[in-house]
Amino acid sequence: MPVLEGRQEDIEKICAKYPPENRRSALLPVLWMVQEKEGWVSQDSMREVADVVGVTAAEVYEVVSFYTMFQQKPTGRHHIAFCQTLSCAVCGAYEAIAYICEKYNVPKHGPSEDGRFSIEAVECIGACTEAPAMLVGETLHGNLTPERIDEILSNCE
Amino acid sequence: MPVDTFDKVYLPNIEENKTEWLQDYLKGGGYDGSKKALEMAPETIINVVKDSGLRGRGGAGFPTGVKWGFLPKDVHPRYLTVNADESEPGTCKDRPLMEQRPHTLIDGCIATCLAIEAEAAYIYIRGEYYKSAKVMQQAIDEAYEAGFLGDNIFGSGKKVDVYVHRGAGAYICGEETALLTSLEGYRGYPRLKPPFPAVSGLYGKPTIINNVETIISVPFILTKGADWFKSYVHERSTGLRLYSVSGHVKKPGVLELPMTVTLREMIYDYCGGIRNDHDVKFVIPGGSSVPWLLPHQLDTVMSMEGVNAAGSFLGSAAVMVLDHTVCPVWAVTNLSAFYRHESCGQCTPCREGSAWMHKILMRIENGGATMADLETLESIAGTGKPNTGMISGKSICALGDASAWPVGSAIQCFRDEFVKHIEEGGCSYRNKRFWMSGDKFVNETAEHHPRWH
Ligand SMILES: Cc1cc2nc3c(=O)[nH]c(=O)nc-3n(C[C@H](O)[C@H](O)[C@H](O)COP(=O)(O)O)c2cc1C
Ligand code: SF4
Ligand code: FES
Repeated sequence: MPVLEGRQEDIEKICAKYPPENRRSALLPVLWMVQEKEGWVSQDSMREVADVVGVTAAEVYEVVSFYTMFQQKPTGRHHIAFCQTLSCAVCGAYEAIAYICEKYNVPKHGPSEDGRFSIEAVECIGACTEAPAMLVGETLHGNLTPERIDEILSNCE
Repeated sequence: MPVDTFDKVYLPNIEENKTEWLQDYLKGGGYDGSKKALEMAPETIINVVKDSGLRGRGGAGFPTGVKWGFLPKDVHPRYLTVNADESEPGTCKDRPLMEQRPHTLIDGCIATCLAIEAEAAYIYIRGEYYKSAKVMQQAIDEAYEAGFLGDNIFGSGKKVDVYVHRGAGAYICGEETALLTSLEGYRGYPRLKPPFPAVSGLYGKPTIINNVETIISVPFILTKGADWFKSYVHERSTGLRLYSVSGHVKKPGVLELPMTVTLREMIYDYCGGIRNDHDVKFVIPGGSSVPWLLPHQLDTVMSMEGVNAAGSFLGSAAVMVLDHTVCPVWAVTNLSAFYRHESCGQCTPCREGSAWMHKILMRIENGGATMADLETLESIAGTGKPNTGMISGKSICALGDASAWPVGSAIQCFRDEFVKHIEEGGCSYRNKRFWMSGDKFVNETAEHHPRWH
């Protein structure tokens, strides 16, 4: 089923935020709509988005491939984005990432076998004063210790 | 803990981490900034902001009122874009501002739109800030409902719309022109300046871009007066400032302080000193892009002029404190990987230079480098000063400079350690990595784990 089916009203609401001649500004918000529903942005979705926004599929792909948060492959049910930039790195981020990968059997690329988790080391997520920090799905967690990590991840089905 | 003799205004209850919704904001005289602005001529608002001495909080520190004055006369529509991309490593003050004071930011957007005669403001929020975007949207909905936004704000007949626009993970979109290209629905490529956004910005129209903290300062200045703002002053730095202090201090956090504070007071009085009472190895005073400071510079006054005098920049006021367990070569390799990853790739010096520097640094850190490598690295990076080396001053935007300055500065500060790495075939700190969350993950013999990319 097309991912944007039945979303016409929401899409027009987004487009109304921008001048009519600048409908292309809705590209990122509509891509977010897709990713929120599917968890990632497939090539088929990109074609749909292209039609809705009024650009070519190639232009959509050009944009998707620029922004690191758009997933071009399916992720686990819970996607972990762990910060590896300096403030987190000096508070143990590299070790924490290795800890999660090992303990929860999450490979570096693609989701774990049971589809529960996927992990990605990312750049500063704006939680440097609570280092080390990670996003699990849309939720930010800071001041991580092995115990806190276990507590958070064990609550993810 | 020192006794503060001033009242915090931006984040007085930051620890509580509560959102101030409309009802609460109105109790404390909310939207007085906008109401005041409605009674003033646009020129007058701009003059008050000029008089306050407010300078941009996003990084460059450009005088805000002066920037507003650059708008060409009689060209409409005009736009306001609020830079909430906050991706400079170390910086995390705009997130609490949006999550705790959303209506103050909207108040600031309205007052600024009235000053610059814009009818629409876009708040560009980085994609990782899911909660900030939700809170801002909910607060905007409340403001529309109350008639504070829309076609007839406060019954004045004036129109102001405020929209949230989310990014999707790209540091470069914090650069003002990249932010505009991104907002227009393209890859976030910076544009060559001039023309400056004030002349040709969003959709080719005159546009003002300001940081969240800058815009949120406007209602305070209008209600409390330019003189109140100027009562906090060090040279040409006025007002209170939000410092994000991270790294090896005992109590990291966002501090609201006058810019007369010294680095030493910040670390030892406000943040409880260094964990385990270790020594300071170096400090990055203004976000990861700026040159480093050494322990003998701890008495630096943390104003724009104070930090400049010490040879660095206050930037986004993100203070990263590193203790003596941190290998400076390893640290700058981490930052170098960041810039390599975040370079948008448009210009050769930045794209190739950032990758080249990172490759050499990896060699120095992991073994296999020669003294010739260090010379090459220095020739690319320069000395940590503007317009030195092969990148700084030779690229479209300042990310090029930002990739070079930390490297040049690290070599200036710790040349002997770079040489030692080369002579010993790699990093000798390797088996002493006990850096997990203060000491919560302590493990001195832990296997060394590399960065992912
Ligand atoms: C690579 C790069 C990244 C930047 N990132 C940000 C950012 O995340 N937030 C911000 O407010 N300014 C950022 N800036 C500075 C902006 O270009 C611009 O100067 C600022 O938003 C202007 O607002 P201000 O005058 O209120 O500081 C960045 C600049 C560069 C070169
Ligand atoms: S300096 Fe770097 S980030 Fe800036 S435009 Fe050039 S390549 Fe892109
Ligand atoms: S460095 Fe990790 S959140 Fe900023």
